[in-house]
Amino acid sequence: MAGFSHFNSRNPMAAPVQAVHGTQSLSHKKPRIRQSFFSRTLPFWLLLPTLLVLAAIQFYPGIYSFFLSTQTFQAGKQIYNGTRNFERVFNSGSFGDSLYITLFFLVGYAVLTLAVAFGVALFLNRKLRLSGMYLTLIFIPWVLSDVIVGLIFRLFIVPDYGLLSPFFANPFLFGAPNGISILTTPQPLPIIPGVPFPPAPALLLLILASAWKAVPFTTLLILAALQTVPREVLESSSIDGANGFSSFRFITFPLVLPTLVVALFNLSLTGINGVGMIFSLTSGGPGTATETLSYLLYTIGFGQLDFGKAAALSVFMAIINLALIIFALRISRTDIDRVERA
Amino acid sequence: MEQTSDYLPRSTRYYHITKRLQPWFFNAALLLICIMMLLPVFGTLITSTKRQEDVQKNPPVLLPCDTPQHSFDITACRFVLEGYNRIIDSKPDPKSLLGIDLTGRMVSIYLPNTLLYAVAASLLVTMLAGMSGYAFSRFRFRGRHTLQVAILAITGIPLLTNLIALYQIGVFLRKAMPGYEERIYLIIVYVGFFLPFSIWIVKAFFDTIPVELEEASFIDGCSPVQALFLIVAPLATPGLASAFLLSFVGVWNEFIAGYLLVSRNELKTAMFGLYDFIGQFVIGYQVLAAACIIIALPVVILFLFTRRVFFRAMVEGALKG
Repeated sequence: MAGFSHFNSRNPMAAPVQAVHGTQSLSHKKPRIRQSFFSRTLPFWLLLPTLLVLAAIQFYPGIYSFFLSTQTFQAGKQIYNGTRNFERVFNSGSFGDSLYITLFFLVGYAVLTLAVAFGVALFLNRKLRLSGMYLTLIFIPWVLSDVIVGLIFRLFIVPDYGLLSPFFANPFLFGAPNGISILTTPQPLPIIPGVPFPPAPALLLLILASAWKAVPFTTLLILAALQTVPREVLESSSIDGANGFSSFRFITFPLVLPTLVVALFNLSLTGINGVGMIFSLTSGGPGTATETLSYLLYTIGFGQLDFGKAAALSVFMAIINLALIIFALRISRTDIDRVERA
Repeated sequence: MEQTSDYLPRSTRYYHITKRLQPWFFNAALLLICIMMLLPVFGTLITSTKRQEDVQKNPPVLLPCDTPQHSFDITACRFVLEGYNRIIDSKPDPKSLLGIDLTGRMVSIYLPNTLLYAVAASLLVTMLAGMSGYAFSRFRFRGRHTLQVAILAITGIPLLTNLIALYQIGVFLRKAMPGYEERIYLIIVYVGFFLPFSIWIVKAFFDTIPVELEEASFIDGCSPVQALFLIVAPLATPGLASAFLLSFVGVWNEFIAGYLLVSRNELKTAMFGLYDFIGQFVIGYQVLAAACIIIALPVVILFLFTRRVFFRAMVEGALKG
């Protein structure tokens, strides 16, 4: 970190600083103005606490989990065992099931959330007098914790006493023998053998609860994008004879599309890593029907206390997360260079 | 318009009618959406005010207003605060400040813990994000872009994947360090996880403050550090406040780290208390619902009063970062 220079010459701020010291410009050939070591390296000192915290809480544990994933714990001792842990994770049947459940959950969650949020945002974009109030009311689920949202939805479907239990006890919809609660109804038999397509009703409830919590934020993002669509363009398109649908299809939608992609990545990240709601809503059940990768990680690590295997799975998940965020940074307009130039 | 409408062509009259009805239609639709979105919340509120007997009715009733004769009788409604009483569990105590002593574990242990963690972690996050946001916004130094991209990328790393390692580190520290304090460790973990996003928001706010103000202060003899604390920080208060509020809500609602990284039950958070309740089947559903309401109420009220700060910060943070 030795290369800190003080205010850059491109920065307009630099000029007055030199004026105080009586030099004209800060070209590299001229002798540098004398500043104390502290003020020359000021950005370093400003960043130091942040870098220390991030190194201790984000960087080092990342490296350490990688190290743990190559270890096996036997009789209180750690023994190096190479890629055995990874093999154990990938070869176990629960990993494949969990991967499928996670994918199904993600698709359902993202599609439901985006569709509902887009609709709500289109309504809110009408600029009514009470739009702010509506947005605030819609936003309340976002403030609630995952655990609380799971519990709220669970209270509706507890066996016998939940308000929606009679509906879910319907034998035609959710299987006869065990249809007391959606949480105990097992996965129906697959339509195509080998493809676990109709998922357990509990997974659908999990999707519903997660989408309920995610809709507000996604609505806000889409609304912010809708408000940047220039009015003049929409007006001129309607003068040119475009109807409501075609001006939406050819003007609004393309302009909102980047934000939809940002929202999609946001949803994927929260969906892959969310675990609190599964805790309070289904606890992974019935059986393992709602055990997504993140919940599987928890059960391996803190249920079976198999830290090596859990570390291997968390390395796998961290790589997926990193790949997602890097991809999101590349394709969205969050690219730092472009923000800087703008 | 009513007088002239007879002379208007049919399509124009239609246009006028729709123009007038449109706001009503959209208001009604939005109101319906709001009600649909808040339905689970209303349901929980109603459940939390039921009596034990009304909660355990089969088939369930929406409102506890049924009598043996009628299915709904407004005079027979039985709304009670039994669930809340069982959470708060207040006992008269002449020695304490208000004359009563709150003995429920939720309000006497878990909620104060959560408040402590949330305030401490968010204050630290705000301070550190302010300092590094200033450095990123105003200085140019080698590695600046790389660092910014790295911090942005860290935003995507969830608490969960680092948890195994953080747990092991905690176990190690507990053994190796004599004065080890679980609460400080948990707070630092929270700071580490809510910092990257906050830095991004705060930097965006600093970027909107004109540098001319600082230049003027430099001419008057300010040092950059003085300028940061006396000129920039007061102007960036909305940005700093949004970093604080987002971290506060984040820590308040966080479950798994507070559950796993703290070993002693009396240091755990409200979300753990709630999770603990789920396991206790002796507790009625109205108590669970009341616990949800009590835990959620502080952040919901906080949000309702500061919603503008939240909205702006979230749009800034998500669309730029």
